Amino acid sequence: MIRHPIPKWLFYTLAAAGVAAAVAVYAGLSVRQTWINPTQNILPGIKGFVVGWEEITKPRGNERRPKPSWLSTDVRATYWRLLLGLSCGTIASVLIGVAMGAYEAAEAFFSPVINFMAKIPPTAMLAVYMVVFGTKLEMYIALVGFGIFFTMVQSIFQAVKKDVAADHIDKAYTLGASECEVLVEVVWQQILPRVIETVRVHLGPAMVFLIAAEMLFASEGFGYTIRQQSRLINMNVVYIYLAILGLTGLCFDWLLIRLRRWLCPWFGD
Amino acid sequence: MTEEAPALEIRDVSHWFGDFRVLNHIDLRIEAGQIVALVGPSGCGKSTLLKAILGTHPPREGEVLVGGEPVRGPNRNVGIVYQNYSLFDFLTAEKNVAFGLKLDQSSLPFRIFQYPRWRKLRAEQMRMAREYLRRVHLAEACGKYPHELSGGMRQRVAIAQALILKPKIVLLDEPFGALDEATRESLQLMLLHFYQENLQAIQRGEVPEYTILIVTHELNEAIYVANRVVGLSRYHDQAEKGAMIVYDRPCPIFSPDDPRDVAQFIEQREELRRAVFDPNYIKHHQKYVTFWKELADQESSVGNPAIDNAN
Repeated sequence: MIRHPIPKWLFYTLAAAGVAAAVAVYAGLSVRQTWINPTQNILPGIKGFVVGWEEITKPRGNERRPKPSWLSTDVRATYWRLLLGLSCGTIASVLIGVAMGAYEAAEAFFSPVINFMAKIPPTAMLAVYMVVFGTKLEMYIALVGFGIFFTMVQSIFQAVKKDVAADHIDKAYTLGASECEVLVEVVWQQILPRVIETVRVHLGPAMVFLIAAEMLFASEGFGYTIRQQSRLINMNVVYIYLAILGLTGLCFDWLLIRLRRWLCPWFGD
Repeated sequence: MTEEAPALEIRDVSHWFGDFRVLNHIDLRIEAGQIVALVGPSGCGKSTLLKAILGTHPPREGEVLVGGEPVRGPNRNVGIVYQNYSLFDFLTAEKNVAFGLKLDQSSLPFRIFQYPRWRKLRAEQMRMAREYLRRVHLAEACGKYPHELSGGMRQRVAIAQALILKPKIVLLDEPFGALDEATRESLQLMLLHFYQENLQAIQRGEVPEYTILIVTHELNEAIYVANRVVGLSRYHDQAEKGAMIVYDRPCPIFSPDDPRDVAQFIEQREELRRAVFDPNYIKHHQKYVTFWKELADQESSVGNPAIDNAN
């Protein structure tokens, strides 16, 4: 029956079964591929993954000039770019989105450009960012920041328009609030869970833009290593990288949910 | 009691939307301590008048003064309680009630840069908020969020939230419309308690704390909770010019402990229904606008019956 609840134990059992099924399908395909070609590395088995893990965690360089492992270099590069891009994009979109939702003049001024730019795929803008910002850190920040900015502004603008009732604003004034206090104490508080949800939703696209840019221009980072290793058909390395991306994505997601529950206990799930 | 400007004074207010005239030369004066019910048929302009008092939609003509000051926009002198509660979802009941104190008694820079002093002030504000919640019989709900409260509880919080700042006047916009009968009655009793406190304050020579304008479509409720009923209607001899005040008379004063004797106000309810709600009963618009004259007559003949009743 539609939306009929099921017992918790059954829910978790089915979840575990789903994961087990995915692993089993992979294992089956891997065994079959290895039977056809014993040296294959397209669908590696456990041994292949162990080798791949050792490869990416092995310190590089020599005794005189030691270098960190691939994984450590790539984690630092990719997540630093992601963090900066995401932070800049989020801060800018909150400021513009709140201004547009609160003031019609700001809405009139920004919405034509925002609505137009939101329709251009951010990866298509890569060429522009490369020319304007070069191929250093600034380009990745611009790509991720602008990539999420336009659609994030639209979400936050909608949240201010729909989630903050006119009655609440009028009431805040009757309680002695100044205009600035209405924005900080009422509008911001009311939309905060929506902002956190919007960041959650935009994590995936931000990662897509970043990995795409790293594949094209970077000399370190997840995108770069995945591209290099896939060319060499070192899929044992590629799959580990993909798994790390998936797991860190889940971790970010979980952290943002915890943050929302902590900051906005009234919002529910 | 010192001589003060009226809590609310509406001077010759008219309003229209395009060719449609909504309000026509409305004059109304409400003194501190009065609990006034505003009734009228749907679409007669009650909400427009309320918005003009609140300051969100200024009238096209005329002036609204609260405590002698012209209303230029929503401000802390006019409290508002909406039918849909409009509590801040992100604040607990006590923080909702203390919200006005926070905004009124401190600024954003003070709260950030003088944090220790702000904490001290905040503790006092929260104590006061709990005291107001106790007054509206909600002491147990201090830490609950609005979504965890029933409709009646939310409305009590909204009333405490509006009252804590001691505004010159509190507007209740159909506050009990969405509530069940039992909750409605308990909130009506709460208003009667407020009126009793007003009378006691007058006796002590103080300015009464609660001045309330309640918009309601329930005539029994209007007569029961208020000491004055004002009717706004288009059914009068100048109907084409818009709604006017066609009824303004005192009501019987009930004590919260009195039995709710509906028989006492049947006659006035019928008079009110005819004067305000009957489109076929055309009369001079001033015929039932006699509150101040009746009050003067009453006071000159038998003293102040309201204060006698409070004793």
